[in-house]
Amino acid sequence: MAALLLEVGIALTAVALAGTLANRVGLSVIPAYIVVGILVGPNPPQSVLGLPLTLVGDREFITVLAELGIVFLLFFLGLEFSVDQLLRDRRRISAAGGVDFAINFGLGAAIGVAFGWTLLETLFLAGVVYISSSAVVTKSLIETGWIANAESGPILGTLVFEDILIAVYLALLAAVAGGGDLESAAVSVGTAFLFLGALTAVAWYGSNWLDRFFRTSSDELFLLRVVGVTTLVAGAALALGVSEAVAAFFLGTGISQTSHVERIEHIVAPARDIFAAVFFFSIGLTTDVTLLADVAVLLAVAVVLTTLGKFVSGTLSGRFYDLGRRRSLRVGLGLVPRGEFSLVIATLAAGIGTGRLASVLPAFTVGYVLVMSVLGSLLIQRADDITDALGASGG
Amino acid sequence: MTVYETDVPGVGKKFEVEIGGDERLVVLLHHDGKRELFHKADPDSDAERLFTLSGQLAREVGAILQGAYFQPVETDEVEVPLGEAIIEWVDVDEGAPMVDQTLGDARLRQRTGASVIAIQRGSDTVPNPGPDETITGGDILVTLGTREELAELESLVEADDS
Repeated sequence: MAALLLEVGIALTAVALAGTLANRVGLSVIPAYIVVGILVGPNPPQSVLGLPLTLVGDREFITVLAELGIVFLLFFLGLEFSVDQLLRDRRRISAAGGVDFAINFGLGAAIGVAFGWTLLETLFLAGVVYISSSAVVTKSLIETGWIANAESGPILGTLVFEDILIAVYLALLAAVAGGGDLESAAVSVGTAFLFLGALTAVAWYGSNWLDRFFRTSSDELFLLRVVGVTTLVAGAALALGVSEAVAAFFLGTGISQTSHVERIEHIVAPARDIFAAVFFFSIGLTTDVTLLADVAVLLAVAVVLTTLGKFVSGTLSGRFYDLGRRRSLRVGLGLVPRGEFSLVIATLAAGIGTGRLASVLPAFTVGYVLVMSVLGSLLIQRADDITDALGASGG
Repeated sequence: MTVYETDVPGVGKKFEVEIGGDERLVVLLHHDGKRELFHKADPDSDAERLFTLSGQLAREVGAILQGAYFQPVETDEVEVPLGEAIIEWVDVDEGAPMVDQTLGDARLRQRTGASVIAIQRGSDTVPNPGPDETITGGDILVTLGTREELAELESLVEADDS
Protein backbone atom coordinates (compact mmCIF):
# COMPACT_ATOMS: atom_id res chain seq x y z
CA MET A 1 0.00 0.00 0.00
CA ALA A 2 2.79 2.39 0.94
CA ALA A 3 4.53 1.95 -2.40
CA LEU A 4 1.27 2.52 -4.29
CA LEU A 5 0.36 5.64 -2.33
CA LEU A 6 3.86 6.97 -2.85
CA GLU A 7 3.54 6.45 -6.61
CA VAL A 8 0.20 8.25 -6.72
CA GLY A 9 1.76 11.06 -4.73
CA ILE A 10 4.74 11.31 -7.07
CA ALA A 11 2.49 11.21 -10.13
CA LEU A 12 0.13 13.96 -8.94
CA THR A 13 2.95 16.14 -7.62
CA ALA A 14 4.86 15.79 -10.88
CA VAL A 15 1.74 16.82 -12.80
CA ALA A 16 1.21 19.79 -10.48
CA LEU A 17 4.82 20.96 -10.90
CA ALA A 18 4.71 20.55 -14.66
CA GLY A 19 1.45 22.51 -14.88
CA THR A 20 2.88 25.33 -12.75
CA LEU A 21 5.98 25.52 -14.92
CA ALA A 22 3.96 25.61 -18.15
CA ASN A 23 1.77 28.34 -16.74
CA ARG A 24 4.82 30.36 -15.74
CA VAL A 25 6.17 30.39 -19.30
CA GLY A 26 2.73 30.95 -20.82
CA LEU A 27 2.32 27.63 -22.60
CA SER A 28 -0.47 25.07 -22.58
CA VAL A 29 -0.36 22.60 -19.69
CA ILE A 30 -1.11 19.59 -21.92
CA PRO A 31 2.41 19.12 -23.40
CA ALA A 32 3.87 19.69 -19.94
CA TYR A 33 1.79 16.85 -18.43
CA ILE A 34 2.90 14.54 -21.25
CA VAL A 35 6.58 15.44 -20.94
CA VAL A 36 6.62 14.91 -17.18
CA GLY A 37 4.91 11.54 -17.77
CA ILE A 38 7.69 10.56 -20.17
CA LEU A 39 10.32 11.70 -17.66
CA VAL A 40 9.14 9.81 -14.59
CA GLY A 41 7.68 6.85 -16.49
CA PRO A 42 9.19 3.42 -17.12
CA ASN A 43 10.38 4.22 -20.66
CA PRO A 44 13.63 6.06 -21.46
CA PRO A 45 15.02 8.36 -20.15
CA GLN A 46 15.38 6.06 -17.15
CA SER A 47 17.97 8.11 -15.32
CA VAL A 48 19.42 11.57 -15.39
CA LEU A 49 22.98 12.16 -14.13
CA GLY A 50 22.88 8.80 -12.36
CA LEU A 51 19.60 9.54 -10.58
CA PRO A 52 16.95 6.91 -11.29
CA LEU A 53 13.93 8.42 -13.02
CA THR A 54 11.59 5.44 -13.21
CA LEU A 55 9.42 6.65 -10.36
CA VAL A 56 5.94 5.76 -11.57
CA GLY A 57 4.94 2.50 -13.26
CA ASP A 58 2.14 2.10 -15.78
CA ARG A 59 -0.18 0.95 -13.01
CA GLU A 60 -3.80 -0.05 -13.24
CA PHE A 61 -5.00 2.87 -11.11
CA ILE A 62 -3.42 5.30 -13.55
CA THR A 63 -5.07 3.53 -16.48
CA VAL A 64 -8.47 3.79 -14.79
CA LEU A 65 -8.05 7.46 -13.88
CA ALA A 66 -6.85 8.19 -17.42
CA GLU A 67 -9.90 6.42 -18.83
CA LEU A 68 -12.08 8.62 -16.62
CA GLY A 69 -10.12 11.55 -18.05
CA ILE A 70 -11.26 10.63 -21.58
CA VAL A 71 -14.84 10.08 -20.40
CA PHE A 72 -15.07 13.44 -18.63
CA LEU A 73 -13.29 15.40 -21.37
CA LEU A 74 -15.97 14.18 -23.78
CA PHE A 75 -18.76 14.55 -21.22
CA PHE A 76 -17.91 18.24 -20.81
CA LEU A 77 -17.56 18.63 -24.56
CA GLY A 78 -21.14 17.38 -24.85
CA LEU A 79 -22.30 19.47 -21.92
CA GLU A 80 -20.95 22.66 -23.47
CA PHE A 81 -22.06 21.72 -26.95
CA SER A 82 -24.48 24.43 -27.96
CA VAL A 83 -27.16 22.92 -30.19
CA ASP A 84 -28.91 26.31 -30.30
CA GLN A 85 -25.81 28.09 -31.54
CA LEU A 86 -25.24 25.41 -34.17
CA LEU A 87 -28.80 25.76 -35.45
CA ARG A 88 -28.90 29.55 -35.25
CA ASP A 89 -25.69 29.96 -37.23
CA ARG A 90 -25.81 26.71 -39.20
CA ARG A 91 -25.03 28.16 -42.62
CA ARG A 92 -21.76 29.82 -41.67
CA ILE A 93 -20.74 27.12 -39.19
CA SER A 94 -21.24 24.33 -41.72
CA ALA A 95 -19.39 26.30 -44.40
CA ALA A 96 -16.42 26.96 -42.12
CA GLY A 97 -16.54 23.46 -40.63
CA GLY A 98 -16.89 21.84 -44.04
CA VAL A 99 -13.82 23.58 -45.46
CA ASP A 100 -11.90 22.79 -42.26
CA PHE A 101 -12.83 19.10 -42.56
CA ALA A 102 -12.21 18.80 -46.29
CA ILE A 103 -8.75 20.37 -46.16
CA ASN A 104 -7.38 18.95 -42.92
CA PHE A 105 -8.95 15.50 -42.85
CA GLY A 106 -8.11 15.27 -46.56
CA LEU A 107 -4.47 16.20 -45.89
CA GLY A 108 -4.25 13.57 -43.16
CA ALA A 109 -5.71 10.94 -45.47
CA ALA A 110 -3.29 11.94 -48.24
CA ILE A 111 -0.32 11.66 -45.87
CA GLY A 112 -1.48 8.21 -44.75
CA VAL A 113 -1.83 6.99 -48.32
CA ALA A 114 1.53 8.48 -49.31
CA PHE A 115 3.25 6.60 -46.48
CA GLY A 116 1.57 3.34 -47.50
CA TRP A 117 -0.77 2.99 -44.51
CA THR A 118 -3.87 0.79 -44.66
CA LEU A 119 -7.36 2.31 -44.91
CA LEU A 120 -8.14 1.95 -41.20
CA GLU A 121 -4.72 3.31 -40.17
CA THR A 122 -5.14 6.22 -42.56
CA LEU A 123 -8.55 7.05 -41.10
CA PHE A 124 -7.07 7.19 -37.60
CA LEU A 125 -4.15 9.34 -38.78
CA ALA A 126 -6.53 11.73 -40.58
CA GLY A 127 -8.59 12.09 -37.38
CA VAL A 128 -5.51 12.82 -35.28
CA VAL A 129 -4.28 15.64 -37.53
CA TYR A 130 -7.77 16.98 -38.27
CA ILE A 131 -9.11 17.98 -34.90
CA SER A 132 -7.99 21.19 -33.20
CA SER A 133 -7.60 21.38 -29.45
CA SER A 134 -10.59 23.13 -27.87
CA ALA A 135 -8.64 23.51 -24.63
CA VAL A 136 -5.54 25.14 -26.08
CA VAL A 137 -7.43 27.26 -28.63
CA THR A 138 -9.96 28.63 -26.13
CA LYS A 139 -7.25 29.42 -23.58
CA SER A 140 -5.24 31.29 -26.23
CA LEU A 141 -8.34 33.20 -27.36
CA ILE A 142 -8.85 34.51 -23.84
CA GLU A 143 -5.19 35.35 -23.25
CA THR A 144 -4.91 37.37 -26.45
CA GLY A 145 -8.30 39.03 -26.02
CA TRP A 146 -9.37 37.69 -29.44
CA ILE A 147 -12.38 36.24 -27.65
CA ALA A 148 -13.92 39.72 -27.71
CA ASN A 149 -13.11 40.24 -31.41
CA ALA A 150 -14.88 39.20 -34.59
CA GLU A 151 -12.37 36.40 -35.29
CA SER A 152 -13.72 34.42 -32.33
CA GLY A 153 -16.89 33.74 -34.38
CA PRO A 154 -15.39 31.44 -37.04
CA ILE A 155 -12.91 29.94 -34.56
CA LEU A 156 -15.59 28.90 -32.07
CA GLY A 157 -17.93 27.91 -34.90
CA THR A 158 -15.31 25.59 -36.36
CA LEU A 159 -14.70 24.04 -32.95
CA VAL A 160 -18.44 23.38 -32.55
CA PHE A 161 -18.52 21.70 -35.95
CA GLU A 162 -15.45 19.61 -35.09
CA ASP A 163 -17.08 18.55 -31.82
CA ILE A 164 -20.11 17.02 -33.47
CA LEU A 165 -18.02 15.50 -36.24
CA ILE A 166 -15.57 13.90 -33.85
CA ALA A 167 -18.46 12.31 -31.94
CA VAL A 168 -19.76 10.68 -35.12
CA TYR A 169 -16.23 9.78 -36.22
CA LEU A 170 -15.32 8.12 -32.92
CA ALA A 171 -18.60 6.20 -32.85
CA LEU A 172 -18.04 4.85 -36.36
CA LEU A 173 -14.35 4.14 -35.96
CA ALA A 174 -14.73 2.40 -32.61
CA ALA A 175 -17.43 0.19 -34.08
CA VAL A 176 -15.60 -0.57 -37.34
CA ALA A 177 -12.20 -1.10 -35.77
CA GLY A 178 -13.59 -3.59 -33.27
CA GLY A 179 -15.10 -5.99 -35.79
CA GLY A 180 -13.17 -8.05 -38.31
CA ASP A 181 -15.31 -8.75 -41.39
CA LEU A 182 -18.00 -6.59 -42.93
CA GLU A 183 -20.88 -8.37 -41.20
CA SER A 184 -19.56 -8.00 -37.66
CA ALA A 185 -18.61 -4.40 -38.44
CA ALA A 186 -22.20 -3.74 -39.53
CA VAL A 187 -23.50 -5.35 -36.33
CA SER A 188 -21.24 -3.23 -34.11
CA VAL A 189 -22.11 -0.03 -35.99
CA GLY A 190 -25.77 -0.98 -35.50
CA THR A 191 -25.24 -1.60 -31.78
CA ALA A 192 -23.48 1.72 -31.44
CA PHE A 193 -26.28 3.65 -33.08
CA LEU A 194 -28.97 1.79 -31.10
CA PHE A 195 -27.19 2.52 -27.83
CA LEU A 196 -26.54 6.17 -28.67
CA GLY A 197 -30.05 6.55 -30.05
CA ALA A 198 -31.53 5.17 -26.83
CA LEU A 199 -29.27 7.46 -24.79
CA THR A 200 -30.31 10.49 -26.83
CA ALA A 201 -33.99 9.57 -26.53
CA VAL A 202 -33.73 9.24 -22.75
CA ALA A 203 -31.83 12.52 -22.56
CA TRP A 204 -34.28 14.47 -24.73
CA TYR A 205 -37.60 13.03 -23.66
CA GLY A 206 -36.57 12.32 -20.10
CA SER A 207 -35.00 15.69 -19.40
CA ASN A 208 -37.59 16.39 -16.70
CA TRP A 209 -36.74 13.11 -15.07
CA LEU A 210 -32.98 13.78 -15.38
CA ASP A 211 -33.54 17.20 -13.93
CA ARG A 212 -35.26 15.71 -10.86
CA PHE A 213 -32.69 12.95 -10.54
CA PHE A 214 -29.80 15.40 -10.18
CA ARG A 215 -31.69 17.84 -7.96
CA THR A 216 -30.22 17.93 -4.46
CA SER A 217 -29.10 20.68 -2.12
CA SER A 218 -25.91 18.82 -1.22
CA ASP A 219 -22.91 19.51 -3.45
CA GLU A 220 -21.38 16.24 -2.34
CA LEU A 221 -24.36 14.16 -3.45
CA PHE A 222 -24.59 16.13 -6.68
CA LEU A 223 -20.96 15.41 -7.55
CA LEU A 224 -21.39 11.72 -6.74
CA ARG A 225 -24.52 11.42 -8.86
CA VAL A 226 -22.97 13.09 -11.93
CA VAL A 227 -19.69 11.16 -11.71
CA GLY A 228 -21.53 7.93 -10.94
CA VAL A 229 -24.05 8.10 -13.77
CA THR A 230 -21.47 9.27 -16.32
CA THR A 231 -19.03 6.51 -15.45
CA LEU A 232 -21.80 3.90 -15.43
CA VAL A 233 -23.09 4.94 -18.86
CA ALA A 234 -19.53 5.00 -20.26
CA GLY A 235 -18.80 1.58 -18.78
CA ALA A 236 -22.03 0.11 -20.14
CA ALA A 237 -21.21 1.52 -23.56
CA LEU A 238 -17.74 0.00 -23.56
CA ALA A 239 -19.12 -3.36 -22.45
CA LEU A 240 -21.40 -3.29 -25.52
CA GLY A 241 -18.50 -2.39 -27.78
CA VAL A 242 -19.60 1.23 -28.14
CA SER A 243 -17.10 4.07 -27.69
CA GLU A 244 -17.26 5.19 -24.03
CA ALA A 245 -16.10 8.64 -25.09
CA VAL A 246 -19.01 9.10 -27.47
CA ALA A 247 -21.50 7.78 -24.92
CA ALA A 248 -20.19 10.37 -22.46
CA PHE A 249 -20.51 13.06 -25.12
CA PHE A 250 -24.15 12.18 -25.76
CA LEU A 251 -24.92 12.02 -22.05
CA GLY A 252 -23.37 15.47 -21.73
CA THR A 253 -25.53 16.94 -24.51
CA GLY A 254 -28.57 15.37 -22.88
CA ILE A 255 -27.80 16.93 -19.51
CA SER A 256 -27.11 20.28 -21.17
CA GLN A 257 -30.91 20.47 -21.64
CA THR A 258 -31.45 20.47 -17.87
CA SER A 259 -30.97 23.32 -15.42
CA HIS A 260 -27.84 21.75 -13.91
CA VAL A 261 -25.23 22.88 -16.43
CA GLU A 262 -23.86 25.77 -14.39
CA ARG A 263 -23.62 23.63 -11.28
CA ILE A 264 -21.81 20.85 -13.11
CA GLU A 265 -19.33 23.40 -14.45
CA HIS A 266 -18.76 24.50 -10.88
CA ILE A 267 -18.69 21.26 -8.98
CA VAL A 268 -17.70 18.54 -11.43
CA ALA A 269 -15.08 20.49 -13.44
CA PRO A 270 -12.40 20.04 -10.72
CA ALA A 271 -12.88 16.26 -10.91
CA ARG A 272 -12.60 16.45 -14.70
CA ASP A 273 -9.36 18.46 -14.35
CA ILE A 274 -7.73 15.80 -12.17
CA PHE A 275 -8.82 12.92 -14.42
CA ALA A 276 -7.77 14.75 -17.58
CA ALA A 277 -4.36 15.68 -16.14
CA VAL A 278 -3.76 12.04 -15.26
CA PHE A 279 -4.86 11.07 -18.78
CA PHE A 280 -2.20 13.32 -20.36
CA PHE A 281 0.32 12.12 -17.80
CA SER A 282 -0.44 8.48 -18.59
CA ILE A 283 0.04 9.18 -22.30
CA GLY A 284 3.55 10.25 -21.34
CA LEU A 285 4.05 7.16 -19.17
CA THR A 286 3.27 4.81 -22.04
CA THR A 287 5.28 6.73 -24.62
CA ASP A 288 8.57 5.31 -25.73
CA VAL A 289 10.43 8.34 -27.07
CA THR A 290 12.91 6.15 -28.90
CA LEU A 291 10.04 5.26 -31.25
CA LEU A 292 9.84 8.92 -32.24
CA ALA A 293 13.03 8.50 -34.27
CA ASP A 294 11.21 5.99 -36.49
CA VAL A 295 8.40 8.44 -37.22
CA ALA A 296 10.58 11.54 -37.59
CA VAL A 297 9.98 11.93 -41.32
CA LEU A 298 6.24 11.36 -41.03
CA LEU A 299 6.14 13.79 -38.11
CA ALA A 300 8.00 16.50 -39.99
CA VAL A 301 5.78 16.12 -43.06
CA ALA A 302 2.60 16.13 -40.97
CA VAL A 303 3.62 19.15 -38.89
CA VAL A 304 4.45 21.28 -41.92
CA LEU A 305 1.47 20.24 -44.08
CA THR A 306 -1.22 20.29 -41.39
CA THR A 307 -0.06 23.62 -39.97
CA LEU A 308 -0.44 25.07 -43.44
CA GLY A 309 -3.73 23.18 -43.84
CA LYS A 310 -5.34 24.77 -40.78
CA PHE A 311 -3.88 28.12 -41.70
CA VAL A 312 -5.47 27.98 -45.15
CA SER A 313 -8.82 26.52 -44.06
CA GLY A 314 -9.09 28.98 -41.15
CA THR A 315 -8.28 31.94 -43.38
CA LEU A 316 -11.01 30.80 -45.80
CA SER A 317 -13.46 30.41 -42.89
CA GLY A 318 -12.77 33.99 -41.92
CA ARG A 319 -14.00 34.99 -45.37
CA PHE A 320 -17.31 33.18 -44.76
CA TYR A 321 -17.76 35.46 -41.75
CA ASP A 322 -16.92 38.55 -43.85
CA LEU A 323 -13.77 39.26 -41.88
CA GLY A 324 -10.95 41.43 -43.16
CA ARG A 325 -7.63 39.98 -44.23
CA ARG A 326 -5.86 40.29 -40.89
CA ARG A 327 -8.69 38.76 -38.87
CA SER A 328 -9.07 35.91 -41.37
CA LEU A 329 -5.35 35.13 -41.04
CA ARG A 330 -5.83 35.12 -37.27
CA VAL A 331 -8.57 32.50 -37.63
CA GLY A 332 -6.09 30.37 -39.55
CA LEU A 333 -3.40 30.75 -36.88
CA GLY A 334 -5.91 30.28 -34.07
CA LEU A 335 -6.96 26.80 -35.16
CA VAL A 336 -3.44 25.34 -35.47
CA PRO A 337 -3.10 23.88 -31.92
CA ARG A 338 -3.91 20.18 -31.63
CA GLY A 339 -4.23 18.45 -28.30
CA GLU A 340 -6.57 16.40 -26.18
CA PHE A 341 -8.81 14.93 -28.90
CA SER A 342 -5.90 13.79 -31.07
CA LEU A 343 -4.68 11.93 -28.00
CA VAL A 344 -8.14 10.45 -27.36
CA ILE A 345 -8.17 9.10 -30.93
CA ALA A 346 -4.65 7.67 -30.55
CA THR A 347 -5.63 5.99 -27.27
CA LEU A 348 -8.60 4.41 -29.00
CA ALA A 349 -6.27 3.21 -31.76
CA ALA A 350 -3.79 1.76 -29.29
CA GLY A 351 -6.60 0.00 -27.41
CA ILE A 352 -8.15 -1.83 -30.34
CA GLY A 353 -5.61 -1.90 -33.10
CA THR A 354 -2.64 -4.02 -33.95
CA GLY A 355 0.50 -3.25 -35.96
CA ARG A 356 0.91 0.44 -36.71
CA LEU A 357 -2.16 1.41 -34.69
CA ALA A 358 -0.68 -0.06 -31.51
CA SER A 359 2.83 1.41 -31.69
CA VAL A 360 3.56 3.87 -34.50
CA LEU A 361 0.36 5.92 -34.35
CA PRO A 362 0.46 6.58 -30.56
CA ALA A 363 4.14 7.55 -30.70
CA PHE A 364 3.47 9.75 -33.72
CA THR A 365 0.47 11.39 -32.01
CA VAL A 366 2.44 12.20 -28.86
CA GLY A 367 5.21 13.80 -30.91
CA TYR A 368 2.66 15.57 -33.06
CA VAL A 369 0.64 16.96 -30.15
CA LEU A 370 3.79 18.07 -28.31
CA VAL A 371 4.89 20.03 -31.38
CA MET A 372 1.47 21.33 -32.44
CA SER A 373 0.24 22.47 -29.02
CA VAL A 374 3.43 24.47 -28.43
CA LEU A 375 3.77 25.67 -32.03
CA GLY A 376 0.07 26.62 -32.12
CA SER A 377 0.30 28.65 -28.91
CA LEU A 378 3.41 30.42 -30.18
CA LEU A 379 1.82 31.22 -33.55
CA ILE A 380 -1.14 32.81 -31.75
CA GLN A 381 1.10 34.80 -29.43
CA ARG A 382 3.14 36.06 -32.40
CA ALA A 383 0.12 36.55 -34.67
CA ASP A 384 0.63 40.29 -35.08
CA ASP A 385 4.19 39.83 -36.35
CA ILE A 386 3.00 37.17 -38.78
CA THR A 387 0.08 39.14 -40.17
CA ASP A 388 2.29 42.24 -40.46
CA ALA A 389 4.86 40.19 -42.36
CA LEU A 390 2.10 39.02 -44.67
CA GLY A 391 1.22 42.64 -45.29
CA ALA A 392 -2.18 42.58 -43.61
CA SER A 393 -1.98 45.25 -40.95
CA GLY A 394 -5.42 46.80 -41.39
CA GLY A 395 -8.90 45.40 -40.64
CA MET B 1 -29.06 49.40 -26.70
CA THR B 2 -28.37 46.03 -28.31
CA VAL B 3 -26.77 43.14 -26.46
CA TYR B 4 -25.23 40.25 -28.38
CA GLU B 5 -25.00 37.01 -26.42
CA THR B 6 -22.75 34.12 -27.45
CA ASP B 7 -21.92 30.80 -25.80
CA VAL B 8 -18.21 30.18 -25.42
CA PRO B 9 -17.80 26.42 -24.94
CA GLY B 10 -15.68 25.54 -21.96
CA VAL B 11 -15.60 29.12 -20.73
CA GLY B 12 -19.05 30.57 -20.27
CA LYS B 13 -20.95 33.34 -22.00
CA LYS B 14 -19.91 36.43 -23.89
CA PHE B 15 -22.03 39.58 -23.92
CA GLU B 16 -21.31 42.37 -26.35
CA VAL B 17 -23.07 45.62 -25.43
CA GLU B 18 -23.45 48.66 -27.66
CA ILE B 19 -22.63 51.63 -25.43
CA GLY B 20 -23.33 54.60 -27.63
CA GLY B 21 -21.85 55.40 -31.01
CA ASP B 22 -19.80 52.51 -32.31
CA GLU B 23 -18.30 51.66 -28.96
CA ARG B 24 -18.76 48.17 -27.59
CA LEU B 25 -18.32 46.78 -24.12
CA VAL B 26 -17.57 43.05 -24.10
CA VAL B 27 -18.18 41.06 -20.93
CA LEU B 28 -16.85 37.52 -20.73
CA LEU B 29 -18.63 35.64 -17.97
CA HIS B 30 -16.69 32.57 -16.88
CA HIS B 31 -18.43 29.53 -15.42
CA ASP B 32 -16.42 29.99 -12.22
CA GLY B 33 -17.94 33.46 -11.77
CA LYS B 34 -14.95 35.45 -13.02
CA ARG B 35 -15.80 38.38 -15.33
CA GLU B 36 -13.43 39.82 -17.89
CA LEU B 37 -14.24 43.20 -19.43
CA PHE B 38 -13.03 44.40 -22.81
CA HIS B 39 -13.57 47.65 -24.65
CA LYS B 40 -13.78 48.11 -28.38
CA ALA B 41 -13.67 51.58 -29.93
CA ASP B 42 -15.78 50.26 -32.82
CA PRO B 43 -17.10 46.83 -33.81
CA ASP B 44 -14.11 46.18 -36.04
CA SER B 45 -11.24 47.29 -33.83
CA ASP B 46 -9.20 45.05 -31.56
CA ALA B 47 -10.57 44.60 -28.09
CA GLU B 48 -8.61 46.11 -25.25
CA ARG B 49 -8.76 44.27 -21.94
CA LEU B 50 -10.03 46.60 -19.24
CA PHE B 51 -9.98 44.49 -16.09
CA THR B 52 -10.94 41.20 -14.50
CA LEU B 53 -13.31 40.85 -11.56
CA SER B 54 -14.06 37.93 -9.28
CA GLY B 55 -17.73 36.97 -8.99
CA GLN B 56 -18.13 38.65 -5.59
CA LEU B 57 -16.42 41.87 -6.71
CA ALA B 58 -18.43 41.91 -9.93
CA ARG B 59 -21.72 41.76 -7.99
CA GLU B 60 -20.65 44.68 -5.79
CA VAL B 61 -19.53 46.78 -8.74
CA GLY B 62 -22.74 45.80 -10.51
CA ALA B 63 -24.78 47.03 -7.56
CA ILE B 64 -22.92 50.35 -7.64
CA LEU B 65 -23.58 50.73 -11.38
CA GLN B 66 -27.21 49.90 -10.77
CA GLY B 67 -27.44 52.55 -8.05
CA ALA B 68 -28.55 50.03 -5.44
CA TYR B 69 -25.36 50.10 -3.43
CA PHE B 70 -24.74 53.83 -2.90
CA GLN B 71 -27.69 56.14 -3.66
CA PRO B 72 -26.65 59.12 -5.76
CA VAL B 73 -27.33 62.47 -4.00
CA GLU B 74 -30.63 64.08 -5.00
CA THR B 75 -31.06 67.33 -3.06
CA ASP B 76 -34.78 67.23 -2.36
CA GLU B 77 -34.61 63.70 -0.96
CA VAL B 78 -31.51 63.87 1.21
CA GLU B 79 -31.85 62.67 4.76
CA VAL B 80 -28.95 62.43 7.19
CA PRO B 81 -29.79 60.47 10.32
CA LEU B 82 -28.84 62.21 13.59
CA GLY B 83 -30.36 60.01 16.27
CA GLU B 84 -34.07 60.83 16.40
CA ALA B 85 -33.54 63.98 14.35
CA ILE B 86 -32.88 64.10 10.64
CA ILE B 87 -31.75 66.82 8.26
CA GLU B 88 -34.02 67.52 5.35
CA TRP B 89 -33.96 69.95 2.43
CA VAL B 90 -37.31 71.72 2.08
CA ASP B 91 -38.40 73.80 -0.95
CA VAL B 92 -40.33 77.00 -0.19
CA ASP B 93 -43.11 77.51 -2.76
CA GLU B 94 -43.49 80.95 -4.35
CA GLY B 95 -46.96 81.39 -2.87
CA ALA B 96 -46.25 80.11 0.63
CA PRO B 97 -47.52 82.34 3.49
CA MET B 98 -44.03 82.69 4.97
CA VAL B 99 -42.55 84.25 1.80
CA ASP B 100 -41.21 87.78 2.49
CA GLN B 101 -41.41 87.19 6.26
CA THR B 102 -38.27 87.07 8.36
CA LEU B 103 -37.35 83.82 10.08
CA GLY B 104 -38.19 85.50 13.40
CA ASP B 105 -41.67 86.56 12.25
CA ALA B 106 -42.41 83.16 10.71
CA ARG B 107 -41.75 81.59 14.16
CA LEU B 108 -40.99 78.24 12.54
CA ARG B 109 -39.27 76.68 15.56
CA GLN B 110 -42.06 77.71 17.91
CA ARG B 111 -44.77 76.39 15.58
CA THR B 112 -43.15 73.10 14.46
CA GLY B 113 -40.14 72.36 16.68
CA ALA B 114 -37.82 72.10 13.66
CA SER B 115 -34.82 74.42 13.21
CA VAL B 116 -33.61 76.07 10.04
CA ILE B 117 -29.83 75.49 10.03
CA ALA B 118 -29.09 76.97 6.60
CA ILE B 119 -30.82 78.46 3.57
CA GLN B 120 -29.83 77.68 0.01
CA ARG B 121 -30.72 80.50 -2.34
CA GLY B 122 -29.69 79.81 -5.92
CA SER B 123 -26.00 79.09 -5.75
CA ASP B 124 -25.59 80.91 -2.41
CA THR B 125 -25.85 79.29 0.97
CA VAL B 126 -26.75 81.30 4.08
CA PRO B 127 -25.30 79.31 6.95
CA ASN B 128 -26.87 79.49 10.40
CA PRO B 129 -29.38 82.24 9.42
CA GLY B 130 -30.41 84.81 12.05
CA PRO B 131 -34.06 85.74 12.99
CA ASP B 132 -33.98 88.82 10.70
CA GLU B 133 -33.17 86.78 7.56
CA THR B 134 -36.03 87.19 5.04
CA ILE B 135 -37.42 84.08 3.39
CA THR B 136 -37.98 84.38 -0.37
CA GLY B 137 -39.90 82.16 -2.77
CA GLY B 138 -37.75 79.34 -4.19
CA ASP B 139 -35.49 79.15 -1.15
CA ILE B 140 -34.40 75.73 0.02
CA LEU B 141 -34.45 75.48 3.80
CA VAL B 142 -31.97 73.08 5.34
CA THR B 143 -33.89 71.91 8.38
CA LEU B 144 -33.20 69.77 11.41
CA GLY B 145 -35.90 67.98 13.40
CA THR B 146 -37.81 64.78 14.01
CA ARG B 147 -39.90 63.28 11.22
CA GLU B 148 -43.12 64.68 12.77
CA GLU B 149 -41.66 68.16 13.18
CA LEU B 150 -40.44 68.20 9.60
CA ALA B 151 -43.80 66.97 8.28
CA GLU B 152 -45.43 69.87 10.13
CA LEU B 153 -42.92 72.32 8.63
CA GLU B 154 -43.40 70.97 5.12
CA SER B 155 -47.13 71.74 5.33
CA LEU B 156 -46.23 75.40 6.06
CA VAL B 157 -43.99 75.92 3.03
CA GLU B 158 -46.65 74.91 0.51
CA ALA B 159 -48.40 77.57 -1.56
CA ASP B 160 -51.48 78.92 0.21
CA ASP B 161 -54.22 78.58 -2.37
CA SER B 162 -57.10 79.38 -0.04
